[in-house]
Amino acid sequence: MSFTNPALLLVAVLLCLACSFLLRWVQGRKSAQTLAYTNLAFLDAAVAAPVWPGRVLVGALLLSVALLGSALAGPHLTARVPAKDGSVVLCIDTSGSMTSQDVAPTRAEAAKAAARTFISELPAGTKVGVVTFSTAAQLIQPLTPDHQAALDALARIPEPNGATAIGDALALAAQQLPNTGHRAVVLVTDGVNNNGVDPLEVAKFLATKHVPVYTIGIGTNDSGQLIPGTNEAATIDEDALRALADAGGGAYVKAADAQQLKSALAQLGRTTILEKKKIDAAMPFAFAGGLLLIITLFGGMAMGRIP
Amino acid sequence: MTTQLRNALLRGKRRPRNFGAGSPTNFRGDGYEFAELRQYVAGDDTRRIDWAATARAGTLQTRVVLEDVALTLAAIIDDSPSMQLGRARPLTAAATEAMTTWYEAALADDRCARITATGLVAPLGMRGFRSALACANARSTGVTLALPRAFDIARAALPRGAALLVVSDFFDLPDDADRMLGELGVLFDCTALFARDPWYDGLPLGGFVRLQDAETGAQRQFFIGRKQRAHYVKSVAQREELLSKRLGDSGWRTGLLHEDDGRQSLLQAFGLR
Repeated sequence: MSFTNPALLLVAVLLCLACSFLLRWVQGRKSAQTLAYTNLAFLDAAVAAPVWPGRVLVGALLLSVALLGSALAGPHLTARVPAKDGSVVLCIDTSGSMTSQDVAPTRAEAAKAAARTFISELPAGTKVGVVTFSTAAQLIQPLTPDHQAALDALARIPEPNGATAIGDALALAAQQLPNTGHRAVVLVTDGVNNNGVDPLEVAKFLATKHVPVYTIGIGTNDSGQLIPGTNEAATIDEDALRALADAGGGAYVKAADAQQLKSALAQLGRTTILEKKKIDAAMPFAFAGGLLLIITLFGGMAMGRIP
Repeated sequence: MTTQLRNALLRGKRRPRNFGAGSPTNFRGDGYEFAELRQYVAGDDTRRIDWAATARAGTLQTRVVLEDVALTLAAIIDDSPSMQLGRARPLTAAATEAMTTWYEAALADDRCARITATGLVAPLGMRGFRSALACANARSTGVTLALPRAFDIARAALPRGAALLVVSDFFDLPDDADRMLGELGVLFDCTALFARDPWYDGLPLGGFVRLQDAETGAQRQFFIGRKQRAHYVKSVAQREELLSKRLGDSGWRTGLLHEDDGRQSLLQAFGLR
């Protein structure tokens, strides 16, 4: 949090101190408007009166004064909000290993469903493109702010077949992204690169352009299943994906089942393209302070006194 | 009613020691009221031999009479600021009614005394009604009666067997006063009327209230909610019960002083209606 005029915070402090002294004076002075009682010591023990209502009222009053005083100083809050100029390219693995059924119904189908969720969760206005890759990378949807078009493009994802060219996919994604703005690449794969350029090199290149690479590892290592039509065990190369994410300045998430994959991509959809923004909080501060002051005064009157 | 009150005192467990003043008790002793004739036994006062009855019976007959006593009625009435409070009227008004009823029981040669903040008021040479009137009108100005001091004066100045009435809210009764209460209970026929809290059935307060101690003048703020009001009623009842037990264990007769009728409160303490 920052302030436009931090010096005015002193006013808030002085107001709180003044209120505090005023309350002490009011509570300490002998008032004619008191009721006589035979023995206060007995009453104290007899009613076991709680002290918190008074403290809450005083605390609320001081807080409201502090909020109102702080509003004068022009507070600004820094928040991460979805970037309006955000662009993200989703790279989906369509290699033969994606036919594995360790993630139901298949890795490829689960990835497709999760991609749908990812696109749906993206903030409005964020441009999205879709790249698929197996032996080679293929652009099936150029960057577009039309999320429905991107969702429709998911239907054009080819059937899983061939090798895994992660590096080519990242390179194609890099070509699609603009030179400026908030950009990101999201890679959904089982991670065993066996064709094309070295993905690590491309990820490092992307990092120099301030484009983070988020990797989602789909599949399991200990399912005991084979890739259909081969004698290879269905595994994922987590180390490679983690290295890619580290090199690209992003993050790696493992999804062992369809639900995990869906939630991981949904989370990324909400948070991938974020920018820091300063929000003017003077009005909310003033409103909150005023509201709290009114509640305190009415509460105090309802309870028999203004604190 | 005051006659019944007097009789209750005469037949109380503590025998008044002012003999020969025209108020027979249940006990055999020196007096005027005939009780029975019985055969003479060695040690009987020969002046009590009924010669006519002796002639009829052929053996010595003694006239037995009832002990004849006078009462000493003493009172300690708390007039401290805490007793000046009340729901419809000050508790002191009810206390004064109780005291007046107490002194109204004085007859014939009964003597009255009153312990005030300034000391003992015991009209010399006065008996019965005149003595009672002097005590009832005794005033102490500017000084507040402290219960422990009043008890000290009573113990030192009142005759053994005196009937002592104490009307107070007992807020200044020390926690370690049980021994003193016990001593007074043995020496005198003690009756305690403790002033019932005007708000014993519920405080008419809610929320934040500023209260002033009637005795010390100290002010404090309290938050009184529904829970606190319920707790208060329970605490007042507990205090009454504890005080009653404490005084009862010390041999005192106890009763509650109701703000609306001090006279009735005193009679109720003696089981009279």
